[in-house]
Parts: sequence; C-alpha cells; structure tokens
Amino acid sequence: MSVAELEAQEIQLEAPSGLWRDAWYRLIRNPGAVVGFVLVAIFVACAIFAPLIATHDPQETNLLLIVKGCCPGPSRAHLLGVDQLGRDEFSRIIFGARYSLVIGIVAVSVGLSVGLVLGAIAGYAGGLLDSVIMRLMDIMLAIPGLLLAIGLVAALGQGLWQIMVAVGVVNIPIFARLLRGSVLAQKENEFIVAARAVGVRRPRILVSHILPNAIAPVIVQGTLAMATAIIDVAGLGFLGLGPQDPGTPEWGTMLTNVERYFQSAPHLALIPGVAIVISVLGFNLIGDGLREALDPKLRGRVGRFRQRKMLGFLRRRRTAARGA
Amino acid sequence: MGADAGGRDGVTAAQSTNGAAPLVELENLKLYFPIKSGVVLDRHVGDVRAVDGVTLAIRRGETLGLVGESGCGKSTVGRTILRLYKPTAGRIVFDGRDITKLGEGALRPLRRRMQMVFQDPFASLNPRHSVGRIVGEPLRTHGLATRREAAARVRDLLLTVGLPADAANRYPHEFSGGQRQRIGLARALSTNPDFIVADEPVSALDVSIQAQMINLFEQLQEEFELTYLFIAHDLAVVRHISDRIAVMYLGTVVEVSPADELYDNPLHPYTISLLSAVPIPDPVVEKQRESILLAGDVPSPANPPSACRFHTRCPYVQPTRCRDEAPVLRNLATGHEVACHWAEGIKAGEIKRHELPPVFDPGLQEAAPEPPPV
Repeated sequence: MSVAELEAQEIQLEAPSGLWRDAWYRLIRNPGAVVGFVLVAIFVACAIFAPLIATHDPQETNLLLIVKGCCPGPSRAHLLGVDQLGRDEFSRIIFGARYSLVIGIVAVSVGLSVGLVLGAIAGYAGGLLDSVIMRLMDIMLAIPGLLLAIGLVAALGQGLWQIMVAVGVVNIPIFARLLRGSVLAQKENEFIVAARAVGVRRPRILVSHILPNAIAPVIVQGTLAMATAIIDVAGLGFLGLGPQDPGTPEWGTMLTNVERYFQSAPHLALIPGVAIVISVLGFNLIGDGLREALDPKLRGRVGRFRQRKMLGFLRRRRTAARGA
Repeated sequence: MGADAGGRDGVTAAQSTNGAAPLVELENLKLYFPIKSGVVLDRHVGDVRAVDGVTLAIRRGETLGLVGESGCGKSTVGRTILRLYKPTAGRIVFDGRDITKLGEGALRPLRRRMQMVFQDPFASLNPRHSVGRIVGEPLRTHGLATRREAAARVRDLLLTVGLPADAANRYPHEFSGGQRQRIGLARALSTNPDFIVADEPVSALDVSIQAQMINLFEQLQEEFELTYLFIAHDLAVVRHISDRIAVMYLGTVVEVSPADELYDNPLHPYTISLLSAVPIPDPVVEKQRESILLAGDVPSPANPPSACRFHTRCPYVQPTRCRDEAPVLRNLATGHEVACHWAEGIKAGEIKRHELPPVFDPGLQEAAPEPPPV
C-alpha cells in the first residue's frame, strides 16, 4: 500500500460522517450497552422462537406431578420445575417473553406516538395551545402512574390489551414533556431562523429541522420506558387486572397465585421475577448506552480512543511502507 | 486589513446608481419585544425597544454597512427587513412593494430574492443535514430545480464560494468555521437573490479568514450584482466593504454617510467617540491619539432616555434641547446625515468636549421598567 493511500485512510478515519453513525459507533463500543443488546437479543429470540425452545405446552396442566405436595422443583423433565397446577415453568417463562415483548412495544408505541404529537405541537406552536396541552399533561402527571393505569383498566375493562393501553397512556405526558422541552431548545437555534429566511414552510421546519435534532432524549426515554412498561404491566397482572384466563403465561400473572407457595416452592416466585429483571435490565442498559452515545457533550470520546488506536496502527504501517 | 481602494471605488459605483429607486426602504421602523410577567396570565409590563424609528434606504447594488455596539438593534433591523420578526410599526418596502404586513405565504416568493448570512457558523447550519442538503434546501423549497439539476447547482455554488465540490456529501461538523461560513454563503446565493443581509458574517472568524471572506463577498457582489446590508461591529471591516455606513445607537440611526466621509469627518458625538477608539497602526500617531471614554453603560432599551438617547453619555451634551427634543436625521453635507442638534457647532469646534465623570446609575440598567400603575 502506498503512503498516499494510507494517508487517505487516515483522513477517512478522522472524519466519520453523519451524527447518527457517530452515535452508533459510540454505542457499540460501550460495554454496558453491548450487554444490554445481548440480554434483549436473548429476550427477543425467546419470544420469536418460543414454540421451538419450549419443552411443553405452557397451558397443559398435569396435576399428577403435584400429588406429592407442591411443587416439584427443577428436574430433567421440567428444567425449572412445575407450578401449582403442574404446568412446565420453563415453557411458561419462554412463552411469557412473547407477552412481555408485545406489552413493551404496544405500551411504548401508544405513549410515544401520542406523546410525540402532543409534545411537538405544544413546543412548536407555543402560546395558548402549549398552555392547554401542557396543563393537561400536568394533570395526568399529578396522578400516580400505577393508580391512573388501574383507573383506566377499571374504565376499559380487564384484559391484557387494556392494561397495555393503560400503561401506554400513563407514559404519554412523560414523552410529551420531554419532546416539548427538546423542541423548545432546538427552536431557538439559528439554523431554524435560517430555514425561515429561506422560506421553508412551518410544518416542514418542524419535521426536517427540529425533530431530528430533538428526538435523541425521546429515543433514550423510549428504551427506558420499555423496561418500566414491562414492570408496570407485570404489576397490574399481579394485581389481577391482567388477562382473565389464569392460564395465560404472562410473567406478572404468573406471580399472582404463588404467594401461598413461597415456603414450599420459592422458585415459582423467583423465576418470573428473574425473567422480568433480566429483560428490564437489558432495556435499561441499552437506554443508558444510548443516552451517552447521543449526548453531544460526550461526542467523540469512545470514537477518538478507537481512532487513536487505528491511527497509530496506520502510522506504523506507513513507516514500514516508507522503509520498504 | 487595508481599508483603501475597494471602499472608494464602491462610492463612485453607488453614486452612479443614485437615480434609481432604492431596493430596500425602511420608514420609521419600530420593533418592540414585549416584556411579560405573571404566573397564570401573561401581563404586558413593558417593551424592549430593540428598533425604535429607523429610516433607511438601501440602494441597488450598494453595500450599506450597519455598525453599533452589541445590543443596539442592528441585527434586529436586518432580521426585520427579512420579515423574520413582525414589525411593531413603520414600513418596509422591498423593490417598490410594501412587505410590512405580508403573510408568510405571500412572502415566500419574495424570500427567494432576499437571503441572509448568519454570524455564528456553528449554529446556523443544521448538524444533521449534509452540506448538499443545506445548500440545496432553498432550491427545493422554491421548486427551482429538479433533484438532478439541484445537485449540479449545489456543486457549482460550492465551487463559487471556494469549497471542493465533494463537500456536498459531508456534514457541517467536518468543516472549519471559515468553511462553514462559506457554506452559509452558498446557501444564501442558491436562489440567485438580489439582496443579502450579512449579519456579522466575519465576527466569528480568525482575522486571516476574515480578509478572505470579505474579498469573497466583494467578488460575489460584482459577479451577481448583489445588494448587501452588512452588519458588523468591526469598524475596519465595515469601512473596507461598505459604500455607505449607518451608525446605530440604542435602536436608532444616529448618522448615515458615505464610508470614507464618515471616517474622515464624523459628525455625531457617538460616532466621534466610536472612531476615537480605533487604534491607529502607527506608533507615533497612536501615542498622540486620544480616545474618548464614554461615561457609564448603554442604557437599557426597555427604558431608553428621553429625547436624544445619547444625552446620558454624550461628552458634548448641552443644557438645552438635548434632554427635551428628539433629534431627527438632518442632511448636512451631500449624503451625510446626522441626528444631532449641535452637529455644526461640534464640527466647527465651538462646542468643546467636557469630561463626564463615569456615573453609575442603577436606574438606567434595570431590565424592566416598573409596572404601570393600575
């Protein structure tokens, strides 16, 4: 390789283009975020390939297994033991990942979509509209989240979809406030004035200039909200507001009826708990990694370290090329 | 930076076009920013008078320099001409058309003809857009070019302002301040405008880069027959590029004059003290130079002094008129206008400068006036 080519490579390295790509580089070099990705990948894989991984039908009861007192622990036939009705706990956990994944996605989508629209309008339009929207959001925030969700479930009726929507609605003001603040900060930027001077239409300024710059904290919050949504839905499921078929292998619902067996079969409470913790931890780690990757103040830290290493390598090769 | 031939040539050019109607005319333009307070309902408790009665004409093909210290409203004037703010009162006429009250939709076709270059090369470019997208945005907005034509035009523009054509695929953060300012200039040029407001376009740059940018501005003016409103606080820069100069103090224009005339023969006490602060690159002369230190601070534009706004700091202030009669711009020499009651006396040396002790008057610095009695 010629010296010129190597120098060209150096220039390439010194100028990675695109802020999103920059952020991605920083993200995949953050060990916490990588662990998070692995945990979430396991979680998603379980959800998608549940029928292939599970050893039993999660709904099939086998009361014969619990004749000798409740409830048999892990064994070769049942990796994580069976529950009080003789259902295979491992298969139920695997199928439960499906529910939790859907719960997280639906709840966050509801909160995010409505919150984004309201926050963007409030922040960009300002004035009376802003005041009205934000006071409504304040009212929603004033009611404790879980209580509001319980109230909503009471109004909508019990069931898995209802609790997902309820948890999503609880998230709306969080997203709306976050985006509004971010939009307000971006709105004062000089490049917005520049776009107005050019004659760009107002909706287009919002979509193409403000939102791409304002969305970063919302993405972080969205990932973290996945985690809280899973916890909240599990909590509502535990309170008996979840799916009305007690056979549903939803992690929160699985916790509902096991308090009687704490002493004889603690694994019935522990295993769904651990499953919840692992998935929540995964999303939280990704969220924290994203926060760092997207924070403009930290921009270039991890990237530069990598660049220095790479540059040193290239320089050594260049010296070698010169010598030869 | 040499403030020499460029300026003088410009003067003759401007004089030859004197007969034509001005491209931009401001009549008693006012722009007040409301001060609001209150917990639930915002109460209007006063105004920051950023621009308070500015009358100016910018001739076709000339460069009008607008100088004044920070906060005197010069940027606000520039932005108001482009209707980025809604004027409180007065009239803005662009190419014979009153644009004071036009709505955003009616303004859009006109925006093609008037553009702006910003002060901060870091804040004025969207960091998430590629340079090609930034420079091409005006073209897309006004439907001036198809995608392919736009790409070619963007390349041309980048070359025109002295950037490599492959800059189009890169992002603003990969460029230096001077290069970014060139990107901003390419964006302003993309629609082939008649009029460009340059809002301190070189203040954020190194001196060596400043000279390059100024030369680029002059070269482009010649090539594209541009009219500039050049806002700056660097007097040397303004003298070099401007045909005429307007001096602003606290929201009003105090003096308008051909560029060299202003420097050779300043009439308004504010201009005199402003120019006395410019260092002279000759150690002998510099030692003899006496700079006039103004007493006190710039009064708050929320509560400006009555009558002549400069009377609180003026070294030539007189017992009569200054404190009770607002001076208007008067034409003294040809094309040299000044807003001072005593300009002739000061020029003739009949009125002597007296030392004003620097007085700290907290009343003048309050951000907001007392709320009016209910």
